[in-house]
Amino acid sequence: MGWVPVYKREMLMLIHRIGGMGYFITGLLFPMIYLLAFGWGLGSSVDIAGGYIAYLAKGMLAISVMMNSFQQTVIAISAARFYHKTFQTLKMSPVSNSNIAFGMAMAGVTRGVVAGIIIYVTSLLFFGVEVMSTQGAVGLVLTAMCFSSFGIAVGMFINGQEQFSIVNNFIITPMTFFCGSFFPIANLPDIVYRLVQYLPLSLTNGLLRMYQWDFAAVESACLLLVITLAVYFWSINRIRHYNEFK
Amino acid sequence: MDQEKINAIDIINVHCQAKGKEILHGISFSVKMGEVMGLLGPNGAGKTSLIKLICGLGPCSHGEINLMGMPAGMDRDVTVKALVGLVPQVNNIEPELTVRESMICYAELYGVPQAKQRVAEMLDRFDMLSWADKRPEQISGGMHRRAMIARAALPDPEILILDEPSVGLDPELRQGIWQQIENLKKMGKTILITTHYMEEADHLCDRIAMIKEGKLILVDTAQGIKDYAAGRHTLGLTLEEAYLELVTQKGAEADGLGSCL
Repeated sequence: MGWVPVYKREMLMLIHRIGGMGYFITGLLFPMIYLLAFGWGLGSSVDIAGGYIAYLAKGMLAISVMMNSFQQTVIAISAARFYHKTFQTLKMSPVSNSNIAFGMAMAGVTRGVVAGIIIYVTSLLFFGVEVMSTQGAVGLVLTAMCFSSFGIAVGMFINGQEQFSIVNNFIITPMTFFCGSFFPIANLPDIVYRLVQYLPLSLTNGLLRMYQWDFAAVESACLLLVITLAVYFWSINRIRHYNEFK
Repeated sequence: MDQEKINAIDIINVHCQAKGKEILHGISFSVKMGEVMGLLGPNGAGKTSLIKLICGLGPCSHGEINLMGMPAGMDRDVTVKALVGLVPQVNNIEPELTVRESMICYAELYGVPQAKQRVAEMLDRFDMLSWADKRPEQISGGMHRRAMIARAALPDPEILILDEPSVGLDPELRQGIWQQIENLKKMGKTILITTHYMEEADHLCDRIAMIKEGKLILVDTAQGIKDYAAGRHTLGLTLEEAYLELVTQKGAEADGLGSCL
């Protein structure tokens, strides 16, 4: 349980930060605007079973979990490395690299899931989204773990804000729009569909709309788990190679 | 291995590169258990780089570092990690947390039993109780440095590394920091300290290692360094005069001082 002090420290800092509006604005306002703008603007003209707003609300749920897990983790790690110089405290402590990674990743999961719960409750109350399935819940937790681990790896890799923007613009933003949050990926051209169907956000969006543990659900969950584990081990590797001379 | 013969820190032919440039060139020296070793040198000499290597915050390109006889590379064992406490040059208490919270988090990371109680004891010992519940932005530089030393000493590490612990402090606060370092020395802690204040090094250090441009030029007691420099040129030098003589003015000659190590 060496990861617990790492997690508690991150959570304590989050609790202090949460009083500031920045956390809510970056984490929640963005998906809410998308939900309202696309839901109201396009909702009546898009023909999707169950209604477009309900479809979009699940997509926004996946996006907000992804965004909060990833971005808040990158920001926490890069600020600790570059501005506050607090990451060296963590790295020097007698906590193994895997426990540092797990503690940070669980903090990212918490950030993502808390944001997801707020979006979900709002959607449930105001947009009539149905109760979440266990498949969807599993998908959201795994995607939170996947993207918080990715946030650790990116936070350890980048050397400044510009590189963070590159990752955001070339990886996160395309996933936001092409992975089934706004429309079914089956609508994409065949070659693009083949590329995006195995991306973590596509798998999560798929799981959010499944209601039975059939082969497709198990396959999606297993794939997402494998990707999550791969990214998690990558994040451990980045922490292991933390080097203040670079 | 005979416990008494183990050095707290062994630095063996350490080279280090940063961004393609060699910044440390074959540094070798040891710090005995319970010793206060000063690490002196001009800005850019490589003092902080050497400290980072000792703390496992970067890799040696060649050579090795042992702490209490155990290998201390970048990917070191957690038992080796627990041996060292660092007070870095930059104040790095988490800006979101109060001093007390930061110390409790630190204690928990180091597995200190009854962390809250131990933190309260340290706050009392370092006379920090009146401002322990303030955040770093609300306390002075002197308080910050004191908190950093208290935090590093909290898990009772065998080795304390203090990178310019009294920089920017007024003489009264500096005296206070000296007192705390002396108390830690009395507790038997091994201390490696960098400073630009020669009187500080003279007052606190059992021995001093001087480095310049990434090379070790001398390891001796403060008196030994004064005598050595005096023997070369004039008599009755202070440590500051001896330092300037050896490191700054006669740098080219100092390059050849390796034989007196």
